[in-house]
Amino acid sequence: MRSKWLGKSFATFVLLPFCLLMAFPFVWMLLTSLREQNTIFNGPIIPRKFTGVAYKDAWTSIDFPLHFWNSVWITSVTVIGVLIFATLSGYAFAKLDFPFRNTLFVLLLTTLMMPSTALIIPLYLELKSLGLLDSQAGLLVLYISGSAPFAMFLMRAFFQTLPDELIEAARVDGGSELTIFRRVILPLTRPGIATVVIFQFLSTWNEFLIANTVLRNTDALPLQPVLFTLMGQYSTNWPALTAGLTLSVVPVVIVYVRMQRQFVAGMMLGAVKN
Amino acid sequence: MATALSRQRVVERSGARTSYRFGSPLRKSQRVAGYLFVLPTFALFLAFVLWPILYTAYLSLTSWGGFGSPRFVHFDNYSRMLHDPIARRALIVTLVLTGVTTAILTFLGLVTAVLVNVVWSKVGVVVRTILFIPGIVSFVVSAVLWKLIYDPNIGTLNRLLGAIGLDSLQHPWLADHKTVLPAIVVVTVWGGLGFNMLIYFAGLQSIDPNLYEAAAMDGANTVQQFRHITVPSLRIVTGLIVSLGLLNGFKAFDIIFVMTGGGPNHASEVLGTYLYSLAFGSTSGSIPQLGYASAFSVVTMVLCTLAVIAQLWLTRRADR
Repeated sequence: MRSKWLGKSFATFVLLPFCLLMAFPFVWMLLTSLREQNTIFNGPIIPRKFTGVAYKDAWTSIDFPLHFWNSVWITSVTVIGVLIFATLSGYAFAKLDFPFRNTLFVLLLTTLMMPSTALIIPLYLELKSLGLLDSQAGLLVLYISGSAPFAMFLMRAFFQTLPDELIEAARVDGGSELTIFRRVILPLTRPGIATVVIFQFLSTWNEFLIANTVLRNTDALPLQPVLFTLMGQYSTNWPALTAGLTLSVVPVVIVYVRMQRQFVAGMMLGAVKN
Repeated sequence: MATALSRQRVVERSGARTSYRFGSPLRKSQRVAGYLFVLPTFALFLAFVLWPILYTAYLSLTSWGGFGSPRFVHFDNYSRMLHDPIARRALIVTLVLTGVTTAILTFLGLVTAVLVNVVWSKVGVVVRTILFIPGIVSFVVSAVLWKLIYDPNIGTLNRLLGAIGLDSLQHPWLADHKTVLPAIVVVTVWGGLGFNMLIYFAGLQSIDPNLYEAAAMDGANTVQQFRHITVPSLRIVTGLIVSLGLLNGFKAFDIIFVMTGGGPNHASEVLGTYLYSLAFGSTSGSIPQLGYASAFSVVTMVLCTLAVIAQLWLTRRADR
């Protein structure tokens, strides 16, 4: 017993300083965003006086609300779009029998890990030829098509856990496949849907490369590219810069903290299914 | 994450599925529904995943500035790559950064997960949350934040070093070609650790405690238990973490683009940042070199495919 207690104490003793180190950048971000501009060069590392003026700066000078709502809108539409595509196809690949099912599936599989870094040139050209460059619609198309296969994959794993008898019974009762899917299947896969929603929310909210490349019209920009330009404009106004960063992080942290249990459960289900 | 494992199961099982039988009306409605359900996703996939891949491969064999039509040049772009010192550097830096961050992240992920698994559960929850938060903010936020921390004049790192009397260690971290890569590694590890720790933690939780008891009965000490039970049980998780680390490394872009832009003097240039500057040339206002840049896209795709194959292979071997 005593050795157990020793082990726990030792592990805590190692972890806590490490956690302080890991948390330091965020603590510093908050402290910096709350100090006065003229104290960042020579003031003490922990400011003596706190002020919210930097938040007002960031809020008005970059039109924070506009880009914030752009991000909210783009992320919401992407999440809903991806869910529709991914649940339908995930269900079909998991539970419906049709010719060439495996062939199609393997085809989707092989390209699952193709990063946007590698595809950015053709995607840009494609949007250009479709006349969707510089529009949020174009961005949404790329986001949804880029994420749907992966989400389909996750959803398929969830659908596979449902018993076939359930679907058979519903079929015998004479429901069409779409009715069965909507009324019987979807309500049973809330955890799966929650997992996809969280992952999709995080990855869309944080996406930078595509947004920064296909959108040139500043009014349409979501937050991430704006933060990047902010870095150039405010290179010396650190309080305003860190205030902008903080504001952009708040929704992510809120969503994460509120859905943490779901998130972790989803990861466990995904990662350690065996 | 989830996919890699299930992907492997699919590969194993795809041959074992009962083949499709034409017949009853029930099946027919399934067939129609199946296609209708899959069609939307598949159409998007063809238009915005498969086609771009093929188109990039084609472009990489051409010379094109974006206007008129691409001129076919066979493998010129690839031979040019071999003679382009920046390209060689970008490839080496990509591989080195990927290797180093993956190794550190795998090791630290396992160590922290083991420690979190040992401590009191209340402490564990706090630690898991703190370690995980850097991974949920965007790379842009991390990069900007760390750029300020590394700032040569008023950066927090140098000020802290000064405050504890280590002025001699103060350094222009991102402006020196010797320290820029370690600086990037730190940021990448900071952001990726929580995720790996969590997956390893889940893996640890799923190991049967009876194994340890049996080993203890046989007189195995803690270190032996760790080597002969914990590590082998986590092989699949390790395979997953390593391959995801490789994937993330090969496609690296955001952090480097924001923090250093590939500088100083291409010292932190990776495939992603180099192809981006060739195609969308932010620097010189020169003509975009879409053909040459596409060759780098192809190299990136090949590397990512290799990472996936490596994962299949690693877990395959673990099954034996």
